[in-house]
Amino acid sequence: MTFQELILALERFWAERGCLIVQPYNSEVGAGTFNPHTFLRAIGPEPWNVAYVEPSRRPTDGRYGENPNRLQQFHQYQVILKPSPPDIQDLYLESLRALGTNPTHHDIRFIEDDWESPTLGAWGLGWQVWLDGLEISQFTYFQQCGGIDCKPVSGELTYGLERIAMYLQDVDDVYELQWAPGIRYGDIYKRAEWEWSTYNFEQADVDLQKNLFGEYEKQVAALLGLSAKKGKGGALQFDREPLERLVLPAYDAVIKCSHYFNVLDARGAISVTERQRYIGRVRLIARAVAESWYAQREALGFPLLDTAAAAQ
Amino acid sequence: MTSEFLLEIGTEELPASFVTHALRSMKAGALELVGQARLGTDSLEVHTLGTPRRLALRLRGLAPNQPDRDETVMGPPWSAAFEADGAPKKAAIGFAKKHGVAVDDLQKQTTEKGDYVSARVHEAGKATAAVLAEILPHVCQRITFPKSMRWGSGEISFGRPIHWVVSLLGSEVVDFEFAGVRAGRGTRGHRFLAPETFDLDEASNYEEALERAHVLVDLEVRKERMMEGLLAAAKALGGVLEPDAFLADECVSLVEQPFTVPGSFDPSFLELPETVVISVMRDHQRYFAVRASEGGALLPAYLNVVNTAQDPETIAKGNDRVLRARLADARFFVEEDRKAPLADRLQKLESVVFQSKLGTMGAKVRRLQANARALAEQSGVDAAACMEAARLCKADLETLIVFEFPELQGEMGRWYALREGMDSAIADAIRDHYRPQGAEDVVPDQVVGAVVAVADRIDTLVGCFGIGLVPTGSADPFALRRAALGIIRIALEGPIDIDLRQLIDQAYRHYAGDADLTPADEVRASLDDFFRGRIRAMLKDAHGGDVVNACLGAWDGTSLRDLRSRIEAVSELGAAPEFEALAIAFKRAFNITKESARGPIDRALLEAGAESALAERFETVRDQIREATGERRYAAALKLVAKELGAPIDRFFEEVFVMVDDARVRDNRLRLLGEIADTVNGIAHFHQLGTKLQRRDPSVSA
Repeated sequence: MTFQELILALERFWAERGCLIVQPYNSEVGAGTFNPHTFLRAIGPEPWNVAYVEPSRRPTDGRYGENPNRLQQFHQYQVILKPSPPDIQDLYLESLRALGTNPTHHDIRFIEDDWESPTLGAWGLGWQVWLDGLEISQFTYFQQCGGIDCKPVSGELTYGLERIAMYLQDVDDVYELQWAPGIRYGDIYKRAEWEWSTYNFEQADVDLQKNLFGEYEKQVAALLGLSAKKGKGGALQFDREPLERLVLPAYDAVIKCSHYFNVLDARGAISVTERQRYIGRVRLIARAVAESWYAQREALGFPLLDTAAAAQ
Repeated sequence: MTSEFLLEIGTEELPASFVTHALRSMKAGALELVGQARLGTDSLEVHTLGTPRRLALRLRGLAPNQPDRDETVMGPPWSAAFEADGAPKKAAIGFAKKHGVAVDDLQKQTTEKGDYVSARVHEAGKATAAVLAEILPHVCQRITFPKSMRWGSGEISFGRPIHWVVSLLGSEVVDFEFAGVRAGRGTRGHRFLAPETFDLDEASNYEEALERAHVLVDLEVRKERMMEGLLAAAKALGGVLEPDAFLADECVSLVEQPFTVPGSFDPSFLELPETVVISVMRDHQRYFAVRASEGGALLPAYLNVVNTAQDPETIAKGNDRVLRARLADARFFVEEDRKAPLADRLQKLESVVFQSKLGTMGAKVRRLQANARALAEQSGVDAAACMEAARLCKADLETLIVFEFPELQGEMGRWYALREGMDSAIADAIRDHYRPQGAEDVVPDQVVGAVVAVADRIDTLVGCFGIGLVPTGSADPFALRRAALGIIRIALEGPIDIDLRQLIDQAYRHYAGDADLTPADEVRASLDDFFRGRIRAMLKDAHGGDVVNACLGAWDGTSLRDLRSRIEAVSELGAAPEFEALAIAFKRAFNITKESARGPIDRALLEAGAESALAERFETVRDQIREATGERRYAAALKLVAKELGAPIDRFFEEVFVMVDDARVRDNRLRLLGEIADTVNGIAHFHQLGTKLQRRDPSVSA
């Protein structure tokens, strides 16, 4: 099964089970969770079932294309089921069959792995899924997103596509994977890994990244009308009504900040104490976006609740 | 005839550490609620069972029926319940209604606080099944987890989502609902080997029925089966299992039925440090290591405990691949690390924070070197070696391999140092300075390691006390208690003695310019107190709290071995038959003279007989006792005291009355006793000893 057949198989599987098939986000993200189809849609009461591929960037994981297992950009297949259905584990195991893997012939285990994104103010409990000792997926029940309790709870399934493909194709080197017949992963990405590793570790302009971080941070406040003053108990204050806030552009700016932070981190330009402050700054604007999103959907009357009711 | 009751809660895979935790709270909750509901009997047995996918509770010896309840219930004050003319007020009507009695049946109870309303309540006992149905939701709610979660659209929190509940009293379902799941008799077997739901006909058949469905529900049975499999598989590989209690507990909590699948790796990976190979297998993959023989070399093989083994070859192949990639990574880290000498990492420590108010690890390392040098010079050991070991002991924190495997700190520093051709004393010290890691761990057995270990710990202790980070209650985030115990144990069990006061003062001085600490006097006093507390806690079981206290009283807070000599001498004397009389006599001498002035003894004023005899004896041996004390030969000093002064002082107290009217005679007498008391107090404060000294187990030493 080629890399692209793997993606197609998952697309088909989840489409047949009622998921919207959407596309990757057009900005740099560290994981599929950052895509607004997950981060924003996990907030509030509206149901949401979606699946998509997410090219995910982890600047510190770059190895100049020299390590057979580590990449600064890899591909996740992300599935969100909200509310998490009771048969979510069975659905997941069925999806492995769709990839040609019979779960009863392998050792499949659900190993505790709690997930937390300090920058997104999000956390959940769940597992890593092991297939014969190999971690192939993350499985998370979202408990909080942007500091807001998730009600209902979303179930998030994240497949590590490179790892699964390496397993299916029986290769030890990611660059040897067949992406499509006759084209290897390395043909597409090896040079990219070297360039991005060199950029992230050596050449990214530190001042530029720091400036961009600060400017986008200001953008979030401006687009949401976020007040510098906090209310009682540290509550965020907004000068704009929910429907006047530009939540999506603001969230885009949050994603940019998170990315510039990651590049600065890889570049070794952030000290230990600064690190916590940067994380706190991103968390604050992520929370402002999350609260604004909720307020906006509420002002709109949570329209997908009606859509779901009509569908039934 | 009472039936057995079974409760099983079927869940998604619970984390390994959750199951035992949950079962404990489930048992406690059940015991309490069953008791409150009057279902308990003398023969009640509560037993819990569990796997990653189920928590189960079995009750045997429940009461066949809930007994009736007859009880007098106190209500509101009479005056609040009835008008003066006896007409009932609202409070009386409400109270009567609540307890199901007529207002006319309410009675007056006279108490110290006045008259109160009471009701005689009779409640007929219900059938056990009915009572269980009421309390079971609460039993489920009482189950706690280290972390809980919600799922779907529900509000209930549990360790993982709940899928089924079995509740059987004998062969009957006890009906209740929890987390939206209706209890019944349908359970499930192993997720992959027997996935279908099936009915349990009897509570007592639970374990057998599940075993047929590939679930060993009793953790002990499962563990036994797992260990048998592991031992046999190791033998089949021609080796022996590397025992690992932590891993065994972890693995048994990850499977419902244990199977062992052996795997292998390329022997060339055995060139890596053994600890790295074991860590990769254990911490990342949960594999057991196999040795050629006990304590022998590792075999290029591992044992994997799995939940299904339909196709062991496929499973082994997959696991081999994962392990190969992990070991290749480790080899890459080690090779990268070795491209530069260990000392090159020192620069990086300059930007790592040790503690925000205490500066960087770089600064800590410099203080550590200064501490090590002072300590080495005082102990007469190789200061250059100690300083070099101190300089390098934290360098491996900045290596790739330790970043990946933090538990290998020290071990990897040693390994790299040896490969750089460094002196083995220095290399060993890099590893050993983390010892002892806990009460079970050994102390460094070589001087260099001991010096650096002490230098490191005292720096942390002085720094933390200097900024007010003092352990309180159970909160001790910097493990300061363990650090202090480490220093004490190194002095008592290791190769060097330690002058605690000097050590504290030096470490304090070495903070100059690095951090603002509270004044030295305060740090010294609070640390002295802290160390005394640790010493007491550590030695009281072996020697008795009063012996340790008596010696701590006479100890000047410097040499730790000096303190031990005192304790051993007093303990030894304490075992002798004449000790009790001696202790009483010195206690008396101390108490009677503690307020009186000291001074020279006037021989002319001594009374012939017991007093003169004591004074003479004392004068003969006084200097010998003081000399022995000064030379820290406390056992010898105490032997002299016992042999030479025991009988005379006893006779003195029998025959001589101290507090005579003649002030000159009395004061002279007090001066004599005072000097004797002071001399003995130089060894240990006898007045702090209980007179009933028990003989301690001589095999337990300080």
